[in-house]
Amino acid sequence: MYRIRFHGRGGQGMKTASRILGTAFFLEGYEVQDAPRYGAERRGAPIFAYVRADRAPINERGIIRHPDLVIVADDSLVPIPAAGVLAGITDHSLMLINSAEKEQVWKQRLNHSGSILTLPVAADVTERAELPYVGAACAGAAARLIGVISEAALEQAINDELSDLGADIVNKNLHNAVAAYRAMASHAGLVKEGSLVSAVDYEAPDWIDLPFDDARISAPTIHAAATSVLVKTGLWRTQRPVIDFDHCKGCWWICSSYCPDGAINVVDAKPVIDYDHCKGCMVCVAQCPSHAIEAIPEKQAKADEDAMRLEIGEIT
Amino acid sequence: MTDSSDTIRGIKDLPSTHLLGTGTPMCAGCGALEALHVIYDILGSKTVFVNAAGCMTLLSVYPFTPFRGSWLYTAMASAPAGAQGIRDALDILLQQKRITQEEDLEVVVLTGDGAAYGMGLSATSGSMERMLDYIYICYDNEGYGNTGQQYSAATPHAARTSTSHGVSGFAGYKKNLFDIWVAHKPAYVATVIGADPLDLAKKIEKARSMEGPRMIIALSPCPTGWDYDPRETVNIGRLAVKTGVWPLKEYADGEVVHTKIPRQRAPVEEYLKLQGRFAHLFEPERNEVLLAEIQARVDAYWEKVEVAEK
Ligand SMILES: Cc1ncc(C[n+]2csc(CCOP(=O)(O)OP(=O)(O)O)c2C)c(N)n1
Ligand code: SF4
Ligand SMILES: [Mg+2]
Repeated sequence: MYRIRFHGRGGQGMKTASRILGTAFFLEGYEVQDAPRYGAERRGAPIFAYVRADRAPINERGIIRHPDLVIVADDSLVPIPAAGVLAGITDHSLMLINSAEKEQVWKQRLNHSGSILTLPVAADVTERAELPYVGAACAGAAARLIGVISEAALEQAINDELSDLGADIVNKNLHNAVAAYRAMASHAGLVKEGSLVSAVDYEAPDWIDLPFDDARISAPTIHAAATSVLVKTGLWRTQRPVIDFDHCKGCWWICSSYCPDGAINVVDAKPVIDYDHCKGCMVCVAQCPSHAIEAIPEKQAKADEDAMRLEIGEIT
Repeated sequence: MTDSSDTIRGIKDLPSTHLLGTGTPMCAGCGALEALHVIYDILGSKTVFVNAAGCMTLLSVYPFTPFRGSWLYTAMASAPAGAQGIRDALDILLQQKRITQEEDLEVVVLTGDGAAYGMGLSATSGSMERMLDYIYICYDNEGYGNTGQQYSAATPHAARTSTSHGVSGFAGYKKNLFDIWVAHKPAYVATVIGADPLDLAKKIEKARSMEGPRMIIALSPCPTGWDYDPRETVNIGRLAVKTGVWPLKEYADGEVVHTKIPRQRAPVEEYLKLQGRFAHLFEPERNEVLLAEIQARVDAYWEKVEVAEK
């Protein structure tokens, strides 16, 4: 049985990727399961989707614990524990990461003894309107790595899944998916089917049994105010708004009032962005009348930040 | 923190630090959250929220909440009934002197359009009949956002939703909830939008100073359901007002007043074309018939307003 897991952020087309791949498998005569998984969070938050495919009926249910192939649409998710990108990865698992960085860098960084590939086609998509198309590219690359899906089946699956969205969107997805499919030619069939697992050999995960407690103990009343600030939604961001104080006129209310998350407060007559919580919607960038707020890719912002910390000796 | 009680005259009077906690699970660029954070700044922390199922339900999921007070989650059709229960309880506590006037709370219902325009309308009607002392805030993202933007009674004509496909989009028309609410003669009814925080803040402040049912509908641009880049939330909201699609108005003392009349209305298509849910009206070719119909409906509305004004 093939077990494939797609990781991305809400809005990057991971659900669509799993549907395209699932349908392509189906067209090749496989039994298929595909399902997205996300919690209460929305666009920008980490989500995953998975596909199982087999020649025989599939009795396995639930999330995939040991994937044969893991596709990561957004490499900034890899270090986020909550995203679970590395969950259940073994030597057998192949990882495909959409990243501008080299495969060798990832291998070292993750100390992964299995194979790691990077997806060159859709690497470094910073234009947000392009993000949903990453999903189709991921599905195309996955199809080729698996090796049992023809280009024709991939195209048919995209047409079947996306035809409602109109010809332009279908064509763009087809273009990206086929390009990724072809780019993976030299690795065709690299993914190996994992063995079937039986319920008899099921190993319970390493969890801690909590005894059943009275609700007053297990779910105590919380009197603290605004506990949501403990959730760092800044991790959702792919772009970062940065205020240029040479151009900021100190009008203060505009960015602060419009920020949907209330993540801009005025401190000493200056707007200050709370990057722990800014989700990167860029409403402030669009509204600032003096054009004093610039959107820069989060990755670049992080790199600049590290360079700065290095310079002032905060890190070595 | 601002438990504002001063009068808001200009934009500089709007709070510059915010009461509503960050870290909520709403989408980046959520227009409903944008309106709510201004509303909460004005209403202050002495509030208790009563919610019906929808996106905003996720604001307060144990153990996290952005609020500084309590929250009651009710079945989708019953938020105003929940508000009645809380109001009654507070009144009893006041009467028995178990809490002081100072400790009294404003009861605020917060639901989406699915609940307000549809399932919850009957309970809302009953609450107005009983002149329940509460504030109702409906954030209207014109569909069942939380479950994937199926159409609701607030979906505008021709919009694509996950249950309205095809070249013409949604075949129905947006229900006129403002007039339905006004017909009950509650204390106050107003339409607002996050893109005009000043008009919004003034109306909330006014509502706060009154008693009885005070009913607010906030048009809430939704990047996810309306299909546009999150950065456009305020631009789209502003265009909803400028094109006349979303009239800003209020009802009090038996009279409806428009708080902002767009004298030089922009063509509605400027509003429509920014949103993926209307893309089929422009591509692969322009649907002149539908575009003209949508424009004509907006024009007809404002002609009536102008006649009434004279
Ligand atoms: C009686 C009932 N029917 C259906 C649902 C499922 N449900 C949860 S949220 C939701 C959508 C609500 O739409 P709306 O009120 O517009 O709020 P939004 O999701 O747009 O914020 C639905 C249908 C429910 N919770 N209860
Ligand atoms: S779906 Fe729309 S209304 Fe719901 S949280 Fe997202 S942006 Fe807000
Ligand atoms: Mg809704």
